[in-house]
Amino acid sequence: MASDLVYRQRLEADLLRWQEDGVISGATAEAIRAQIKPSPEGVTIATVVAMVGGLLIAAAFLAFIAANWTAIPRPARFGMLLAGIIAAYTTGAFFHRAGRLHLADLCVSVGAIVFGAAIALVGQMYHLADDFAAGLLLWAVAALLAAVLTGSRGAFAIALVAGCLWSGARVQELSVVHWPFIGFWAIAAFVAWGWNSVVARHLVSIAAVTWWILCAADYVGTAGRNPAFTLGAGAAVLFGGGIALAGRGTQGLRALGRTLANYGAIVMAVAVAGAIAVGFGDWHEASRTWSLVCAGAGFGLAFLGCKEKHWAGPLLAAVSIAFALVVVAGTARPPEGDEPWLRHALALISMLCLVISGIVDDERPRVVAGWLGLAATIGAITWAVKGSLLRRAAFLATAGIVTVGLAALLGRMSRKGPSL
Amino acid sequence: MNGLLDFLGRIPKVLLFAAVAIIQVALIAMMVVDRARVLRDGTEVTLATRPVDPRDFLRGDYVVLNYEISSLPAGTLKDTPSSGKGTVVYVKAEPKGNVYAAVSVHKEPVAVTGNEVLIRGRASGGATCGPDNMSFCEDLRLRFGIESYFVPQGEGREIENARNQGKVTVVAAVTRAGRAVIKRLLIDGEPVYQEPLY
Repeated sequence: MASDLVYRQRLEADLLRWQEDGVISGATAEAIRAQIKPSPEGVTIATVVAMVGGLLIAAAFLAFIAANWTAIPRPARFGMLLAGIIAAYTTGAFFHRAGRLHLADLCVSVGAIVFGAAIALVGQMYHLADDFAAGLLLWAVAALLAAVLTGSRGAFAIALVAGCLWSGARVQELSVVHWPFIGFWAIAAFVAWGWNSVVARHLVSIAAVTWWILCAADYVGTAGRNPAFTLGAGAAVLFGGGIALAGRGTQGLRALGRTLANYGAIVMAVAVAGAIAVGFGDWHEASRTWSLVCAGAGFGLAFLGCKEKHWAGPLLAAVSIAFALVVVAGTARPPEGDEPWLRHALALISMLCLVISGIVDDERPRVVAGWLGLAATIGAITWAVKGSLLRRAAFLATAGIVTVGLAALLGRMSRKGPSL
Repeated sequence: MNGLLDFLGRIPKVLLFAAVAIIQVALIAMMVVDRARVLRDGTEVTLATRPVDPRDFLRGDYVVLNYEISSLPAGTLKDTPSSGKGTVVYVKAEPKGNVYAAVSVHKEPVAVTGNEVLIRGRASGGATCGPDNMSFCEDLRLRFGIESYFVPQGEGREIENARNQGKVTVVAAVTRAGRAVIKRLLIDGEPVYQEPLY
């Protein structure tokens, strides 16, 4: 919405300037303005106030039921919960019919929240506290259904939050990688693709990152384990897979791919900096095979993004993924007592490739991820507690000189030939 | 997915909003109706409770219930493959005195005769032994979905005190498939709470 507004303001300014400069006529300017679709319904202050009011009423409804829990007969409590669900969707349908789409979305979101609360409260009323995670799954599926049927972005967000909570509950309960979440996430990703919605793309990307963090977090606190590799493998799949999608298919699919790739790049930068800061760890036996498969898939998928006239960005991304994976896997391990200079160098090269690939593909979030990764990696190398500070200064100076030399070479090449 | 979204786009939105409301109301109602079915049709099984670690006493407004059949020797299951934590098992129980006691534990449903019942549970412990943590151990800790009983605020302590003195028994309704729900809660054999169908 914000980028659309910026585009309209910029176009209007350009049209006025071009008219003044005599580049276009007034009629042409009007024709261009006529080509632009009218602005979609914006969120007015009244709408925002109404949304807050709606949320307060929903909270008051649930608090009222909770406060009078024992005073209200059980069937009446049950009926109130069902009435709350029906009221939310009825009001939503009313607002949708009146063209107040944001308020309709809010009502569906409130309905999805009341449904989740109803699961918990019915479980309490009828002593159905058997499987907490299954209740979260039911909430997630019903909210996703509400989102698909009504087009509500709010219900979509609630579905993904509930889905992540379900996955977290299963991981905590069973201490295993929670594969069923992938199926749920894939459906949500299809919806985001079909909607071609910015919000939905970000939500599914955040959900994917959350799942990978849950996978990696399972190893945190396990002495000698290496959560960075699991996180790195997830980042590789998101980054590489996103780049592969960004190069093909419909506009919606390409946009989804770019968003996934940007989130993957950010997570990869975090994993690399974290691995440099924390040090080496052993792979978890249970995660070794599938982490390797994901890592390899991410690297290969980034190559798939290479096309005849657009190969440099994906290629550099693939190189960045490969070096990052070597860093987080802890394979470039030096003899006991030595500092891991090769590993430090690979981390820096990986982040530099990430920045350049972002510049070549004109993906600002990827560039920012690369810069942040570079800064964090240099910080981790500089402030590492172990080892000689003098040697580290020599390493960083050497790295700096090599990088400046590379910059000079690239500058000379760009003057002679076409840019990447 | 695009085809589905296009199809949904051709349906009047009011109908779609109504469909969501109906589906969600039906899902909530099914939870209650299903429980009522178990209460109505299930076999009544009286289970003795055990004291619980005092630190786990009252969490919120529900009483934690631990049963005699919650901790059992694995018997013939020991060292056989499991599905890890949460593996589904079936406890065959028969009346001994005033309560039901476990006879054996199985990975699959087995035939029962006479007064015997089969109660379905999940291994919360004792299913992660062996080199790959995927075998049954010597002893099992089981959950049957009847470990929590929600009570009005302030009434939990009394039940817990009675439970820790071994005075609490629970009458559960158990279906042929092994599903159990709490039907009555008794202290010294006297019903304290009786669960209505709805």
